[in-house]
Amino acid sequence: MEWNPQTLQFLSQCFLDTLSPQPEPRRRAEKNLSEAADTPNYGLAVLRLVAEPSVDEQIRQSAAVNFKNHLKTRWVPSSATPISDAEKEQIKQLIVPLMLSASPKIQAQLSEALAVIGNHDFPKLWPALLPELKSNLETALNANDFASVNGILATVNSLFKKFRHQYKSDPILLDLKYCLDNFAAPLLSTVESISVKINAAAGSAATLRQLIEAQRLCCRIFYSLNYLDLPEFFEDNADKWMSQFKNYLTMRYPAVEDSGADGLALVDELRAAVCDNISHYMEKEEELFQKYLSGFVEAVWSLLVVASASPSRERLTVTAIKFLTIVSTSVHHALFAGDEILQQITQSIVIPNVMLRDEDEELFEMNYVEFIRRDMEGSDLDTRRRIACELLKGIAGNYKDKITERVSAQIHNCLALFVENPAANWKYKDCAIYLVVSLATKKAGGASVSTDLVDVESFFRSVIVPELQGQDVNAFPMLKAGALKFFTMFRVLIPKPIAMALLGDVVRFLSSDVNVVHSYAASCIEKLLLVKDNGVQSRYTSLDIGPILLVLMTNLFGALEKPESEENQYIMRCIMRVLQIADISPEVASPCITGLTTVLNRVCENPKNPVFNHCLFEAIATLVRRACEKNPSLVPAFETCLLPSLQMILAKEVTEFFPYAFQLLAQLVDLNRPPVPPHYMQIFDILLTPDLWDKSANVPALVRLLQSFLQQAPNELNRDGRLRNVLGIFNKLVSKPSTEEQGFHVLNPIIENLGYDVMAEYMSHIWSSLFTRLQNSKTPRLVRCLIILMSLFLVKHGIQTLIDSINSVQANLFHLILDQIWIPNLKTITGNTEVKLSAVASTKLLCESPLLLDPAAEKLWANLLDSIVTLLSQPEEERVEDEPEVPDFGEATGYQATFVRLHNAGKKEEDPLKEIRDSKHFSVALLANLSAQFRGRFPPIIARYVGPANQAALLQLCNSYNLTIA
Amino acid sequence: MAGETPPSHRRDSIKQTVGNAAVQRRRQLAVSVAKERREAMFRTKRLCMEGISMNLEAATNGEKMIDEEPPVLESQTSKAVEELKLAVSFKGKDAVQNKVNALRELRRLLSRSGFPFVEVALKSGAIPLLAQCLSFGSEDEQVLEAAWCLTNIAAGTPEQTNALLPTLPLLIAHLGEKSSLSVSEQCAWALGNVAGESDELRDLLISQGALIPLAKMMVPDNGSTVRTAAWALSNLIKGPDPDAATELIKVDGVVDAILRHLKKSDIELATEVSWVVVYLSALSDVATSVLMRTDIVQILVDRLAASNNLQSIIPLLRSLGNLMSGDAYTTNVVLDPGHEITDSIIRSLSKCLKSEHRFLKKEAAWVLSNIAAGSVAHKQLICKSEAVSLLLQLLAGAPFDIKKEVAYVLGNLCVAPADGLGRPSLLLDHLVSFVRNGCLCGFIDLVSPADLEAARIGLHFIELVLRGMPNGEGQKLVEKAGGIDAIEQFQFHENDDLRMMAGLLVDSYFGETYGLDE
Repeated sequence: MEWNPQTLQFLSQCFLDTLSPQPEPRRRAEKNLSEAADTPNYGLAVLRLVAEPSVDEQIRQSAAVNFKNHLKTRWVPSSATPISDAEKEQIKQLIVPLMLSASPKIQAQLSEALAVIGNHDFPKLWPALLPELKSNLETALNANDFASVNGILATVNSLFKKFRHQYKSDPILLDLKYCLDNFAAPLLSTVESISVKINAAAGSAATLRQLIEAQRLCCRIFYSLNYLDLPEFFEDNADKWMSQFKNYLTMRYPAVEDSGADGLALVDELRAAVCDNISHYMEKEEELFQKYLSGFVEAVWSLLVVASASPSRERLTVTAIKFLTIVSTSVHHALFAGDEILQQITQSIVIPNVMLRDEDEELFEMNYVEFIRRDMEGSDLDTRRRIACELLKGIAGNYKDKITERVSAQIHNCLALFVENPAANWKYKDCAIYLVVSLATKKAGGASVSTDLVDVESFFRSVIVPELQGQDVNAFPMLKAGALKFFTMFRVLIPKPIAMALLGDVVRFLSSDVNVVHSYAASCIEKLLLVKDNGVQSRYTSLDIGPILLVLMTNLFGALEKPESEENQYIMRCIMRVLQIADISPEVASPCITGLTTVLNRVCENPKNPVFNHCLFEAIATLVRRACEKNPSLVPAFETCLLPSLQMILAKEVTEFFPYAFQLLAQLVDLNRPPVPPHYMQIFDILLTPDLWDKSANVPALVRLLQSFLQQAPNELNRDGRLRNVLGIFNKLVSKPSTEEQGFHVLNPIIENLGYDVMAEYMSHIWSSLFTRLQNSKTPRLVRCLIILMSLFLVKHGIQTLIDSINSVQANLFHLILDQIWIPNLKTITGNTEVKLSAVASTKLLCESPLLLDPAAEKLWANLLDSIVTLLSQPEEERVEDEPEVPDFGEATGYQATFVRLHNAGKKEEDPLKEIRDSKHFSVALLANLSAQFRGRFPPIIARYVGPANQAALLQLCNSYNLTIA
Repeated sequence: MAGETPPSHRRDSIKQTVGNAAVQRRRQLAVSVAKERREAMFRTKRLCMEGISMNLEAATNGEKMIDEEPPVLESQTSKAVEELKLAVSFKGKDAVQNKVNALRELRRLLSRSGFPFVEVALKSGAIPLLAQCLSFGSEDEQVLEAAWCLTNIAAGTPEQTNALLPTLPLLIAHLGEKSSLSVSEQCAWALGNVAGESDELRDLLISQGALIPLAKMMVPDNGSTVRTAAWALSNLIKGPDPDAATELIKVDGVVDAILRHLKKSDIELATEVSWVVVYLSALSDVATSVLMRTDIVQILVDRLAASNNLQSIIPLLRSLGNLMSGDAYTTNVVLDPGHEITDSIIRSLSKCLKSEHRFLKKEAAWVLSNIAAGSVAHKQLICKSEAVSLLLQLLAGAPFDIKKEVAYVLGNLCVAPADGLGRPSLLLDHLVSFVRNGCLCGFIDLVSPADLEAARIGLHFIELVLRGMPNGEGQKLVEKAGGIDAIEQFQFHENDDLRMMAGLLVDSYFGETYGLDE
């Protein structure tokens, strides 16, 4: 793409149109751009457009975004259509000055684009960059052009971030060394010069803001450069750095800080960055840091006492407390050992930070999902409430008794204050509950905990139970939520009778209008149902929930009607869990299936929450399985409800749900007795559409459905060329290693369920495609599948049919396959059904086939016997070596729904040899019988060819069934 | 920014690497951005304050350092350079003696420990004059004094060292066999200071041919010369380019000389020579394999057992650690668990672990981690020694960097090396005994975003505990020690490896029972 007025015009128009509210021009512009992106120098042209002052700012912004995205996908040489080296060079030359002179929004995009390049090219392939940034920085500093200063520092910061998340290695250290050689000294001088300018700018808020932001960026760069190791330059200049750092912790900047919340936040960000740096030094370079330690502890402490008492300043508080926590767990923990200090820590730092703030209440009301994520699911690592508790835990590492004593006293205090005036002091009670829950130690299995701060049972009785028994489900919702959370977290420790007495109350809270409260109630019930005693025995069973089942389900479905809880995953998960456990009578089943179908129809409109959706499908599958197993007469009613929805999913192409829909359909097909009703046969035809099989996420679910059809309606295959279609699918699947196994899952039911006459004409083709695959890539899995297939064929259609059909591909092929594939790999077969099948088939072959009983084939015979004995006598883990999974990257392109197995729509494994109960017995008996016919013929062959270990194993097998080979 | 790469879906493979990573021998990385710790204790550049030669007693006699005021000395220095200038241009009788006298005065001023007036001398134009005094055919005494002056100039700041550039070829030329011992030693000293300055100067000296004559100086048995040459060489070959080390080991007689000197009772000499071994073994595989064919390990271990002094122990530890991590032969064959040498080294290392010097503890733990990466018998031997209780104590209370090294040792002791194709297996009795002695908390402390290698070894160990402790006890222990919080810190970390490991641990041991039947 050449840079000329036409190009300028073309690109400007395209970018303008991409902003159009009309879909038609917008789509056309997007299409034009994506085509143009393939032409050489497209990126360069877009960058030039961004730089063109005559073009409208809005267009340039949109171009800058496009430029960044273009680089993201095409800068890496291994990408499908990489940018040429020549174009890259030109882009690299242009981008820095352009970024620096750009308006803030464009600058942000270009800075990101630069980081994309840097990620790959910096420093080795872009040696000019750092010197260029450095000299620009110097110029900008001298000119007091702080917008540019910050642009450069932001860029350097994003370039250097890579040092924060890689393991130490020679290449990364070389890169770091390069950055240090070029930037360590300029960084210090920048910090010092900005510091001087800050002092000079005391009154000018606008300048001060820029300078403080610059200083923050310098701190972040410091962090990146010091992360992997303590560089010599920083060690030598530690005094200078530390005095700068301390300055920002202790100085106040009234012109900025007092100008409003965002001004204070800006300065706090700088202080937080300083705290991160000194925390890092404290943790890793404690020897060097020692002499500065007490000064910093004092500074951070004073800052915290002030910040803890003020309403916002979360980020600063968190980083500052983190620093103290690190000190408390270091070799200098004695700094906090004094009784007075401990008292101050709990009183002035911990309690004020654990107390609920207005922001917490706001979040509770406005964004329940985020509140729960932080409050219940451990994403609160960076909240002041949680970090305050971390400090206590840190100190408790060395002074456990002192901390326990003090915190217990604080909890007691809080509760006493609450009792004085519950309505006014409810936050104190919340504080007490929070302390107990947060200081508990986490246990396995989700979120269960234990504590030694309080006696759980008595705390539960006196503090939690009164909340749970409160009659108004909407009153003091944060306290109710806290109580439900406590119940959930300590569920294992609450004795069953006490819990049972409260179950009705928890069910009641499902009808609260407050999202957090009904979510916590659902979560509490769900988790209770998972409690296991001794690791196996479920503590709560269907008998325990039976009496309240109807009201429980009513309330759960009721909660799904509450505003913002339409797709509440906690509710749906609880529904799923209850359906897995409860005894489902038709009275319950019918409203449930109606309710779930209604929800399903709603989410089909716009699938949003994958967790909710998964639980929904799992709940349906459970309901279908458990209700219909017990009461098959329910099947038609379920079909009436579900089939329209499933058909809609297919018709409207809700592709996210395809894997689920196929699994549910398979489940329904299985539940029908043959013949399969005609409406399913339409689905059978849909199933044979080749396009569906192209998406890998669909394949396991489609195979599952196809299997069900093949088993339930094998004869339907004969009609309308369906068999040919199915075999086409088999061919397609078996041709790729990633789906070869699924291919066999399609083929096996055909072999098992169809008469040979129907498939005879296809067999030769099937074998030859399988053996061709085998020649091209003989994976262990393919070999195993093939042996199982041949075994199945043999037991269903007879030995001679198998031999003849394989030999029809090529004369004597069966002999070859037996010798080189079957016998050597028989021992790799795994799985009970598979081992049984292949053992029986092999033994039949051994004892009943003229081919093997031919005296000339005695060695082959003995080898087969040897393999059979290995298969039957050795446990699976000794026979089979783990094989590494080879990842298949072939089709990782484009958006794909993922296949998630529904546990409750799974298939029960069918045993094709139900009539044989013990395959060992069967095999040995057949062999004994054979030897009786040819008395004296086999013992010498066995002695000659079978390994001594297997001879012994064979003898043992014979003895255990009281049989002999004579 | 590295978050662009999609997370890998192959979590299972991590499980297999967990054990492997715990039994690796670890080489020190060749690149370092940190201050070289050696410098904290020994200066790479050294001022020469007293004469190195005995022949010159007369010349140095009667010179008393008078404590004059700095300003006075400053003017004296520029005056001395002026004198030298005059002396150099003077062509008459006693010209040599004049020069020597002027040089001696300048050298005296440059040898003051508090205020060597290098800057003044340089500004006054001393370098070209000194270069002239080094010219071929000059009297030994004159060359010696000039080289001495240069030695002390080179001991200054980087810029001052760089000022020697024009004199380097001459200094190298005087290393040859034709020079007297004291001259070549003094020149070696000056060059050692230059080599200690930077990679660039090392490369330059090597290209100008300094290596071979310095190496040859190490061969005879002259204590002082060998010591200085060894020191200069250790500065010259310390890389990062490994070629110089490889070249040095190929010089005739060097290997024998190294072994011979290491056996001598002269501690300082042996220490300098062992620094040469440190760099040879750290940088060059060729040198390592040559050394391995000798009895050097035995010699080093014997020396280590007999040493009590910090400065001599450090290079011994470092050499042994390098030899072990560079070549499995050292651990597998030389340090056979049945040999006395192995007991001896473990005893010595235990002694170092008890030392009050944190650097010794750290280095000793590193060496021990390499022994612990050996066979099961090695691991058993360590576990029976007193080292284990020391290691457990250090893990509980030592500063971070020592803890991390110690964690590698303990981790290695719990895993048997993989034999053939099999996976490395757990040494259950070791693991159980360490865990019973409370080591788990120490490992969990390491699982912090502050140091990714430490976090990795911590996570590996947690995995061992979860997998290995009998009766599924691991889960409870990890819970109780606050392990779940520690692991969760990495569930969304930008380091792919750690994120996957954390995910795997949470999924397989602490995940919710999800979607299971009743």
